[in-house]
Amino acid sequence: MIGPLVKNGIISDGVNTLFAVLIGMLFGYALQRSGFTSSKKIAGAFYMKDVDVPVVMFTAITTASIGLWGLSLLGLIDLGKFYFLPSYLLPMVVGGLIFGVGMAMGGFCPGTSIAAMVTGKIDAMVFVGGFLLGSLLFGDLYPWWDKFYNSGANGVWRIDQLFNINVGLAILLVALLAVFGSLGMRKLQYKFWGKND
Amino acid sequence: MKKKLWDPVFGGVVIGISIILTFYVAGRGLGASGALTAFAATIQNILSPSITQSSQYFSKYFANGANPLDDYLVYLIIGVMIGSFIAGMVSKDMKLEVLKGPNISNKGRLWYALAGGILVGYAARMARGCTSGQALVGGAELSVGAWAFMFSIFAGGFAVAYFIRRQWI
Repeated sequence: MIGPLVKNGIISDGVNTLFAVLIGMLFGYALQRSGFTSSKKIAGAFYMKDVDVPVVMFTAITTASIGLWGLSLLGLIDLGKFYFLPSYLLPMVVGGLIFGVGMAMGGFCPGTSIAAMVTGKIDAMVFVGGFLLGSLLFGDLYPWWDKFYNSGANGVWRIDQLFNINVGLAILLVALLAVFGSLGMRKLQYKFWGKND
Repeated sequence: MKKKLWDPVFGGVVIGISIILTFYVAGRGLGASGALTAFAATIQNILSPSITQSSQYFSKYFANGANPLDDYLVYLIIGVMIGSFIAGMVSKDMKLEVLKGPNISNKGRLWYALAGGILVGYAARMARGCTSGQALVGGAELSVGAWAFMFSIFAGGFAVAYFIRRQWI
């Protein structure tokens, strides 16, 4: 069975929706078991006090990257039928900076706040309320940032294209960054905060 | 007694596998912010259809009688809620509580949570996604914009951390 299953007509839209719920369950289960329902743990990343969040992120990206291109190499998945996210460099950098400030203040990002809300974290419920307001602010006042939001449209723009290297090499670089980034940050955590915190 | 957390590398691998699965099954990535914005738009459309219909950004959510809640990401997020709830039950971490550092009141912490939520809600739309839909999925797709977004998140967080340390440490 070659993926994407729904685009290749192997499963129906209804079954795809059922899988969406099931995959979401796996994702939510993993978020909670990784400790991401705790705002304190997430914010700890910004003090190098608990670097589990970046370690999980690095590992997830590397796993998914190797998995996607690996499955494609094995002929099990058709990359041509993927939805690749387009790059809008400047809005993404500015959005990322504001996002980071909000994440350090709020202690959550959208996915973790949803996972935390259902386990009773009151700060997560308030954060979600804020998120709804913030996205309405963006959408209702959209003409104010319409131009900036659509500036610097780079289309699908990948690291291998940026450095003009082979995709395999780009994935290897991502994996190396993940390994050494994780080890380096863990070292800093132990240095600044000790081993038992 | 709460159950011990997963090793972060194991947790990362499981989250990575869930990303691979959405691509293998649906040909697209996962995400969290899209469903929340669809929910916000729906509430606003009930409370004030006129504001929603006159919004250049939100009117297209409802064009031709469309229902923004009938969306892949919404079903995925329903799954996230079920999965996290089950995990919370299994690991005995289900409690109404406010998590924070020792030097701030509950009320103070909740104001920060509200302000942070507003900023993240705005920024997720500006960046066309959040930590999951843009940083993780885009990062795995090797997207330059997604990597820039992720480094910017940490830059923004580190830049402000010192000034709000009372809340966390």
